Amino acid sequence: MTQIIWNGLFVGSFYALVALGYSMVYGIMKLLNFAHGDLYMVGAFVGFALLTSFSGFTATLSLVALLVVLLLSMVGTGLAGVAIERIAYRPLRNAPRLSLLITAVGASFALEYGMRIVAGPNPQVYPVRLGGSSVHVLGARIGVAQLVLIGVAIALMVALNAMVMRSRQGRAMRAIALDPVASRLMGVDVNRVIARAFFIGSALAGAAGVMAGSYYGSINFLMGFIIGLKAFTAAVIGGIGSFKGAMLGGVVLGLLEAFGTHYLGGQWRDVFAFAFLILFLTVRPTGLLGERVTERV
Amino acid sequence: MRKTKLAVALVAVSTLALSGCQGVFGGSDKSSSDGPIVLGMAVPMSGSSSAIGPYMKNGAQLAIDEINAKGGVLGRKLKLNVQDSACDPKTASTAANKLVAAGVTMSVGGYCSSATLPTLSVFNKANTPMIIPAANSADLVSQHLPNVFLINGTGVQQAQAAVSWLTKQKATRVALVDDSTSYSTDITKRAKTDIGKTGGAMKAVLHESVNAGESDYSSNVHDIVSAHPDFVYWTGYYQEGGLIIRQLRQAGYHGKIMVADGSVDGKLISVAGQQPAQGVYATMTETPDTMPGAGDWIASYKKKFGAEPGPYSPQSYDAVRVAAKAMKDAKSTDGKKIEAALMKIDGFPLFSGKLKFTADHTLTQGGFVILQVSGTKFTLADDLKN
Repeated sequence: MTQIIWNGLFVGSFYALVALGYSMVYGIMKLLNFAHGDLYMVGAFVGFALLTSFSGFTATLSLVALLVVLLLSMVGTGLAGVAIERIAYRPLRNAPRLSLLITAVGASFALEYGMRIVAGPNPQVYPVRLGGSSVHVLGARIGVAQLVLIGVAIALMVALNAMVMRSRQGRAMRAIALDPVASRLMGVDVNRVIARAFFIGSALAGAAGVMAGSYYGSINFLMGFIIGLKAFTAAVIGGIGSFKGAMLGGVVLGLLEAFGTHYLGGQWRDVFAFAFLILFLTVRPTGLLGERVTERV
Repeated sequence: MRKTKLAVALVAVSTLALSGCQGVFGGSDKSSSDGPIVLGMAVPMSGSSSAIGPYMKNGAQLAIDEINAKGGVLGRKLKLNVQDSACDPKTASTAANKLVAAGVTMSVGGYCSSATLPTLSVFNKANTPMIIPAANSADLVSQHLPNVFLINGTGVQQAQAAVSWLTKQKATRVALVDDSTSYSTDITKRAKTDIGKTGGAMKAVLHESVNAGESDYSSNVHDIVSAHPDFVYWTGYYQEGGLIIRQLRQAGYHGKIMVADGSVDGKLISVAGQQPAQGVYATMTETPDTMPGAGDWIASYKKKFGAEPGPYSPQSYDAVRVAAKAMKDAKSTDGKKIEAALMKIDGFPLFSGKLKFTADHTLTQGGFVILQVSGTKFTLADDLKN
């Protein structure tokens, strides 16, 4: 039992990291960024490229080097997110919301198959792998690498929450989420703030990608698709647009999957997860912590 | 507005008509009696099993070059047309349609069973005989299509090989894990039945299916470990197989692990990590490295492609030779006549033994062996011949 809960929490923390970016972009500009899951994939590949190019250096200092690579990949993925926003979404700022949604699906495919051209269709194996020892807690086997990854995830989430709640940038984001027109009248540079939100959200997804790559070891150009859907589900379960909701939703989804797999069998995992998406959308569309949503896509 | 609609409809209809005509004329290509005889091959050149496609393509090309050097078939040269099936049903149907449109006389491809299944009817409609070198789910022959022939051991034979190895290893608690694809579930189901029949101390304690394409299998692995097996048999492909082996070892599983032929590739070892993969067994049709007397063949393969042959290179080589033999015997490139000739073949030497098709269009003997991971390679552990 403890083991199932732990497995759920571990997977859930990845979902939560990706769901945060989803939720943040939705909260600010009411856009379901379907390309978000693919930014997770881009992050994994940027990390892969960095690690292979410095392979001699990383062999000696693997954990420190991995953290440096993590930060660099976050910057790289963040910039990719900003570029997508600039090229694909900003020209449609005043277009109907459906056009934006369709553009997002297009951006997702462009990222997937663009990466296929750059990195090839074959799965790649990460040069640095986290593995190592594990500890036993209440009958569950907990890997030290898993603890480090969850620690990094929590640190990133806390930092993001502090940024949004305490800083001027965060206040600007919240203001735009409330009313973009009024914010602009009050002198907020809406485009810059949205670009910054994209940078942060994408960087978080990229961080999750590098962490997944270094823990599981195998990456491919379609790896962002399923996690994108799962992160969306997590965001909906928690209440889309809400930060705490995204984190809670990720963990809840991870746990639901772990228990679903245990009681129903592995092939039911996705059915179970997406059935909960439908259930939440019909019974409680605002999610666990969400506010009242007036418009939905 | 109405006019535009009409114009659109006209364009659509004429395009359809044109493409239909193309099909008819394109199809007539194969009965024409000059120019090369084209053999089609839909194999994964991209996607999760992309390592296999080039091996199969080269194997087939080697046979074609040898046959052409001896004057070809029916006085005509052979030519290979390779399309990417990506191990994906949709992509594979497209590939098969492209091959039919290109007027191939026979098909010598097919790796992933789930991707090969939808191509059967495409080739059947075009009256194109298929010699499938690698895909081996029993679903492929269960429709009893006259044009479908398997020259790889079937899931039934693979399951038998696996269970005889399990018996030899005195396994008692076996966990069967598949990836819900046709090829994979076929083997686990048969193995479960066969284990039930052995009547000894051996039991199948768990039958688990996972979703392909994910990276975290910890929930499945937890279920496997809590069933306390002493042998885990994974029947899916190497991508997920590598992850599952690694996660099983991380979860503290110390028992034996065996994989099926879809996982036999060096990538399995690199995804799992060299340490966790050591000692993993595999059920596999004979590869060049494990075949007695394949030295000359390996040498000519190396000379031609500058690389070692891989899994299913020999089977693809055999598929082309069988295709050529059938066309020679039939003295025709007509699908029906080739099929009749295929059924008459008796004792044609393949790498896996003498060829004789059963009424189901499968091999009479499977030729499976047991391999074991040692270092970064699979080596022969047992040929199951005694």
